[in-house]
Amino acid sequence: MDDTLVQDKKTETTTDDEVVIRIEHLKKSFGDNEVLKDINLELHRGENIVVLGRSGQGKSVTIQCIAGLLEPDEGVLEVLGKEVKALSPDELRELRMKIGFLFQSGALYDSMTVRENLAFPLTRVLKIKDEAEIEKRVKEVLESVGLEDAIDKLPSDLSGGMRKRVGLARTLILRPEIMLYDEPTTGLDPITSREISELIIKLQEKYETSSIIITHDMNCARIVADRIVVMNDGEYIATGTYDELANSPDELINNFFK
Amino acid sequence: MEIVGDQVLFTGRFARNIFRGGFEWGEFIRQCFIVGYLSVGLVGITGFIIGLVMTLQTQPTLKDFGAESYVPGMVSISIIREIGPVIIALICAGKIASSIGAELGSMKVTEQIDAMEVSAANPVQYLVVTRILACTIMVPLLTIMADGLAMLGGWVGVNIQDHVSATLFFKKSFKALEFSDVVPSVIKTFFFGYAIGFVGCYKGYHSARGTESVGKAANSAVVSASLWIILIDAIAVQITNLIYY
Repeated sequence: MDDTLVQDKKTETTTDDEVVIRIEHLKKSFGDNEVLKDINLELHRGENIVVLGRSGQGKSVTIQCIAGLLEPDEGVLEVLGKEVKALSPDELRELRMKIGFLFQSGALYDSMTVRENLAFPLTRVLKIKDEAEIEKRVKEVLESVGLEDAIDKLPSDLSGGMRKRVGLARTLILRPEIMLYDEPTTGLDPITSREISELIIKLQEKYETSSIIITHDMNCARIVADRIVVMNDGEYIATGTYDELANSPDELINNFFK
Repeated sequence: MEIVGDQVLFTGRFARNIFRGGFEWGEFIRQCFIVGYLSVGLVGITGFIIGLVMTLQTQPTLKDFGAESYVPGMVSISIIREIGPVIIALICAGKIASSIGAELGSMKVTEQIDAMEVSAANPVQYLVVTRILACTIMVPLLTIMADGLAMLGGWVGVNIQDHVSATLFFKKSFKALEFSDVVPSVIKTFFFGYAIGFVGCYKGYHSARGTESVGKAANSAVVSASLWIILIDAIAVQITNLIYY
């Protein structure tokens, strides 16, 4: 997929006014370390937001709060109109079915084959018992990420890029409305990074997801972002399109684009 | 206090998830195989040698007093009441608790447990309930097997110097045993098994990030499980004495 095509596809992506994630004055500390000081963000349906920031600024903490893995100390955090903090464990589980989370490492279950990894959420979450239906869904989602041949392999037999693809397939198999990507291209060579970035766009169109992507990879940001927010010292300090921020007079922001 | 609170909460999560629908039978059977079948060799050899060594150590002394006929009874009572359950539980703590602690710790470090949680699956039901129940059921079975092999070892030990028929040896062994020797010692092995599974799961599930923490989780699982076994044994002896003597 060349640049023009990626740009064209992004232009076609429709975003509407419906807010799927609303964050207001979010704070989170670990002991004395105040990681999130005042986070404010809105993600609209169909939108791809890239979060940039130096390491240790709390980017991953933000999406872990969204997924309910961490509980924020203060502030409003609404996902699909529901305040995450106020949800009961069962309600949180229900909400999580609509959220996909791609971990930095892929987080594949290493004692299971690719097939078993993908079938796991189908049997445990959607409670599908029909083997033929499971097989059909597993093959369909593997085809989407271009890894049909890896179905019987163990995670240890896969390359870094393949693991990310399988991780992506495993989250997409539940058809989430929101995707959270934690550094999807870290540790990959430039060609594979580009392939993963293009895959994110392709899958967003196919599954009509809204996404928050945390990355340090500016090529990935350029390919996938509708909007970029820059995080510094526990706060979002700037927001805009790739081109707007690339031409920013602020040295801190501009440094990311050099 | 925080650790105690965490352990109470963890126990609550375990208990709630036992009775939740969708019990993970496949994983439970796999864990029974890992905990039970894969420990048969180690536990069996240990049990046999305990019985053999005990007989070889006590036989000469009892012989001096002309009390050789008490060897089978002494071996069976001491092994079934105390030595068998405690030694086998300590061996299982070393083999099983460390393995569970390291496995879950490694899953935690590589974000596999988080991945289960965010995909709305239930990691406690899949990982914790199956392992704790497998330990609770398999450790008593391993202990019973080891006790049997220890008595066989005792018979072999007697026959190194003398000749005693198996029928006579086992008849005397079982005749010396009473209800109060067997039942409490079997019951306490269920608690040993639970402690091994619980501590392994707790330490692994709550390990910190970073590869170093996997080793720490495995190590502290063995240490804590061993301490729990000794503590449970002390309590079990007190309760048995209160009830029967």
